[in-house]
Amino acid sequence: MNSTEFALNPAYYGIPDQQQLKDLRIWSDHYHGFAGGLKQHKEMMFYVERMGIEKVISLDIGSIEEDALVPSPIDNEEREILEKNKNKILGIIRIDPGFPNESCAKMEKWIRNGPCIGIKYLLQKDGITCSHPNSDPIVRLAAELGAPIYIHSWLKVGGTPRSPGGGRSPGEATPMDVAVLAKRFPNVPMICGHSGGDWELGARAIRPYENVLFEFAGSYPHSGSVDYAVNELGADRIVWGCHGPSRSYATELSKVLDASVSHSDRMKIFGGNYRRTWAKLFREKGIPT
Amino acid sequence: MSGGSLAAGIAATLPALGNTTHDNNDFTGSNPGIIDTNVNLFKWPFRRMKYGETRSLVAKLRKHRITKAWAGNFEALFSKSINDVNARLAEECRVNGGGMLVPFGTVNPAWPDWEEDLRRCHEVYRMPGIRLYPTYQTFDLNHPEIPRLISKASERGLIIQIVGDMEDSRVHHPIVLTRELSFDPLVEIMKNIPKAKVQLLCWNERVSNELLKKLISETSIVLDISWLESTGALGRMIEGNRWSGPEAPVPVERLLFGSHAPLFPVETAVIKLFESPLTLEQMKAVMNVNAGRFIKHV
Repeated sequence: MNSTEFALNPAYYGIPDQQQLKDLRIWSDHYHGFAGGLKQHKEMMFYVERMGIEKVISLDIGSIEEDALVPSPIDNEEREILEKNKNKILGIIRIDPGFPNESCAKMEKWIRNGPCIGIKYLLQKDGITCSHPNSDPIVRLAAELGAPIYIHSWLKVGGTPRSPGGGRSPGEATPMDVAVLAKRFPNVPMICGHSGGDWELGARAIRPYENVLFEFAGSYPHSGSVDYAVNELGADRIVWGCHGPSRSYATELSKVLDASVSHSDRMKIFGGNYRRTWAKLFREKGIPT
Repeated sequence: MSGGSLAAGIAATLPALGNTTHDNNDFTGSNPGIIDTNVNLFKWPFRRMKYGETRSLVAKLRKHRITKAWAGNFEALFSKSINDVNARLAEECRVNGGGMLVPFGTVNPAWPDWEEDLRRCHEVYRMPGIRLYPTYQTFDLNHPEIPRLISKASERGLIIQIVGDMEDSRVHHPIVLTRELSFDPLVEIMKNIPKAKVQLLCWNERVSNELLKKLISETSIVLDISWLESTGALGRMIEGNRWSGPEAPVPVERLLFGSHAPLFPVETAVIKLFESPLTLEQMKAVMNVNAGRFIKHV
């Protein structure tokens, strides 16, 4: 079966069909297709097409999973794919605030002088999160480049006594860390990733900082969560990600399709906000929007 | 009104099980309806649900062509008054269920005299099955009463649904410390009670690939799809082509539609049917054929 064939009509079941999904102009800010190598990326593109996704942004460019500053064996192939297919796939590199000089050098190589568009904070080797002062040169450079800043953030319950965030992994940011960074750089847009996992608290943490966008990818779907975020933050501050292949398109699309928002707000959330926020960069890099 | 007369009143008005809905009108034609084997009613303790009010949930399910939904009760998680939980569930399904909701009461083997709750589920409330929530109900499947519970439920022809997780444990309210749960004991239990009709709900975080292989090959357990994750997971599970590497295929006959609404959006499970390139027969199997067959002889 090819990516356009469906045994039944999705519209009959109250969900958008493929063309309707395409019409929503969905950009995923969170694609992990390369994490399993080029073969996995190729297999993933079947589903990207099938689910009508206009463009995906890979967050795994230029490094191995275990270390943001160690090149990946498929760096050259990734670069070529990004250079040739910017109508379909863009790339973001991981950095590590534990090593700001090396991170900035990587940004110069892959963003200013390469096909990538932004940076991602994940779990940092030395336990330093995005809020650490080491981030400052990284964020200043990202701002100069007009590059998206994606910050993985999770509030995992744990610790003694148990508290939200008390169970976080070393070097893992919470939305509170994102808030600290956002306050220091109020004019630099950045993404609070995964809605902090605990989206009710995550939204509260970044609510005062209008330069922070909120993304729900990578967590189980909760009915009403996007409604909550729209109410607390506004539809203009939410972006969307697929988190494939570890999450289903069903999970991630349903979060937004479940929301009681206008069609135009849904389009903003699915891709309009991302395109608007970093429009200058896309223009400068000749990336179709 | 006393509990006893309330129960009698409900029983008098419930149709005998043979009259409830196993006609095949929804299952033929080009747009088959869906049997949702996993919804819950009443109040989730930690947040107001968008579709937490029964009638709004029914309308939402209908919008997505769900024709029957097997409903548990959120109150089962923490309540000690199990009969009240089940009585309210039965009544709510009858009054506000729109002819769609099928009640699955609960039995907590950690509470004394659970046998009476089981009897009432079957004989008074005419439920086709029960739903257990071990991580909240303070027992695990090694509990000495579990084999007896499954055996007695099976003697009555009841379906036994066992819930793995209600919510991602990483985001639990910090006051709540749910119990650990392993589904491993079910392999031996099912071998000793081969006629047991057991379905796992929200199971995916608690079943390793190795255990899944055993459950599929050594038992007749069926699974819902509500917590199935990863891109194209449904089709890839059927093919045995998981993203993490080849695994034993799970026959489509073992997979039943379940939404976990109103906690999860109904859309999540529906879109799973379309995300994978399933054949029409595979879709129909998951949508209603498997559930229809599973409940048929209850």
